[in-house]
Amino acid sequence: MSESATPAAIAASIELARLPDAGPFAPPLPVPSLLEARVIDNARVGSDYWRLTLDAPRMAEAAQPGQFAMLTLAVAGELAPVLPRPMALYGWDAARGTVDVVYRVVGDGTRRMTGFRGGDRMVAVGPLGRGFIIPPAARHMLLLGRGIGTCSLTALAQLAARRGIVVDAVVSARSPDALVGTDTYRRAGAREVIEVVDTNGSSDVERVAAAVLGRCGDRFDEVYTCGSVRLLGLGATLAAASGASVQVSLEAHMACGLGFCHGCSTGHPGLTREKPLVCADGPVFRHTPTPSAPGAA
Amino acid sequence: MRRRPRLPPHADTVGSGSGVNRAAARMEVRIGTLLLANPVMPASGCFGPELGSIIDLDRLGALVTKTVFATPRAGNPAHRLGESYAGMLNSVGIPSGGAQSFLDELLPRYAAWSPPTIVSIGGLTVQDYFDVTERLAGADGIDAFEINISCPNLEAGGLEIGAVPETVEEVVRGVVERSPVPVIAKLTPNVTSVGSIARAAEHGGATALSAVNALMGMAIDPRTRRARIGTITAGVTGPAIKPIALRCVWQAAQAVSIPVIGIGGIATADDAVEFLLAGASAVQVGSASFTRPDTMIRLVEELPDRIAAAGARDAGDLVGNVLTEPAAHDLAGVISH
Repeated sequence: MSESATPAAIAASIELARLPDAGPFAPPLPVPSLLEARVIDNARVGSDYWRLTLDAPRMAEAAQPGQFAMLTLAVAGELAPVLPRPMALYGWDAARGTVDVVYRVVGDGTRRMTGFRGGDRMVAVGPLGRGFIIPPAARHMLLLGRGIGTCSLTALAQLAARRGIVVDAVVSARSPDALVGTDTYRRAGAREVIEVVDTNGSSDVERVAAAVLGRCGDRFDEVYTCGSVRLLGLGATLAAASGASVQVSLEAHMACGLGFCHGCSTGHPGLTREKPLVCADGPVFRHTPTPSAPGAA
Repeated sequence: MRRRPRLPPHADTVGSGSGVNRAAARMEVRIGTLLLANPVMPASGCFGPELGSIIDLDRLGALVTKTVFATPRAGNPAHRLGESYAGMLNSVGIPSGGAQSFLDELLPRYAAWSPPTIVSIGGLTVQDYFDVTERLAGADGIDAFEINISCPNLEAGGLEIGAVPETVEEVVRGVVERSPVPVIAKLTPNVTSVGSIARAAEHGGATALSAVNALMGMAIDPRTRRARIGTITAGVTGPAIKPIALRCVWQAAQAVSIPVIGIGGIATADDAVEFLLAGASAVQVGSASFTRPDTMIRLVEELPDRIAAAGARDAGDLVGNVLTEPAAHDLAGVISH
């Protein structure tokens, strides 16, 4: 299975239990806002990576780690691109009222997104979806991210560090210039940040496992992952050895982000129930490796 | 052919941008026995009560549900969405919890809002349409049915039913016989003669038509050679299809004497005015609600002014009143060049 095809492939191939709505483990879901947010800054931060900062106080006040926003790429007076883009909230500052998104330029839409300048207005809806949950007893967590997937985990590291939880992280990418998130993890106070890349073979899953076991230990209270099927598999193995569970953030093509278009799910004629919606049931799911019949009612 | 009302006496202000009674253009429209506060409603599949968390659904003329099937179905494999130039592709394939789940879980969430609720119904066979109508008929909070005989993404039924006048008439007649509320037939553009399908739906007893559903298209990733959409073919919607949809509405309206609801790439109040002029009595907004979730609210706010700018006192004055004679200055241009 190719790593670039991960999100839809994960959604289609494994059964994922939705995280609970609320309760002792989960804060209540915030109500999203529709904003015409002022762009504060939009600048290149790596080879293909850009950071967009929006003036969006209501989103910054409500956001939870792992949530996302739908960002409209059509500028005022234009009708296209038609589809907004779902983007993980990389970080936010409730005091300043700002929200950061880090995105990778992969196609026409994200290339167009680089054209927004400070002072421009961008239509944005958020915060959306069900974010990561930090179990109250968690003292040590492992974050496994690959490529742009790491950008779903950075805010989690910041929140966990503020709660005094030990955070270890793996940052994986194709090449050194595609690594993203390391500085944010370090500033948040992460203990170990293990950078691995394809170009020197360090991202090989056995070598990642050895590095984690050598530097982070083998006991984790919760494992979080985004961006790679192989890292999800590694996370499941490490979590199982600790009796911990794995939370995985998925991405999918989306049109609404709210749960009515059903573009982010998958099904098949003849089945009676589609998979959970990545937007409204996720994007964070608890990974349950137990096989079960897909879509069976 | 339908007789067109004459333009109102202040029609000399057409295009002037400052017509009389600009702020007074009335927005109420009637679709059979349904009285709508304004002609703006969502297109089925591009809307749900979830949108009520960010816009005020009470400002819309009507609400339109995602298509409901009689029994549960899972819809199509990923990817279900793609983008095209000024448009989008979808092959969601109508996942549905079935009629009972709709009545128990979804309908109450629509009924919490004040505009009338139009329930879209679907099927893979002619009998499926009758079954879902029987299961839903009489439920409190259903103000009309819209028969989706035009989804381009189903494993069966799409072209066999919606593109054949005889089966269109059969489905519409059977649903009308079983329905206590007005029935709207939603037409496909993927036919040679929209007019003949429109007439078949009218003969079947439809209160109104809605036109059009998505055009059939496809997209391929040139590097990976993969079809971009799981079902290979998909429905194309958005501003890219507006001229085609407008033509279909014009042809449908010319063919029947029942109201037509215009759909296809409508994103601005001026787009809506075009559809009214082509013969639509109301409009549905689909893809544009993804681009900007408050698109329908903007249309409701801006339409009175745009209707007045087109020289009319109310939305109904414009319906079907497109001027088809060449303008005098066009002739002058031809002569002088």
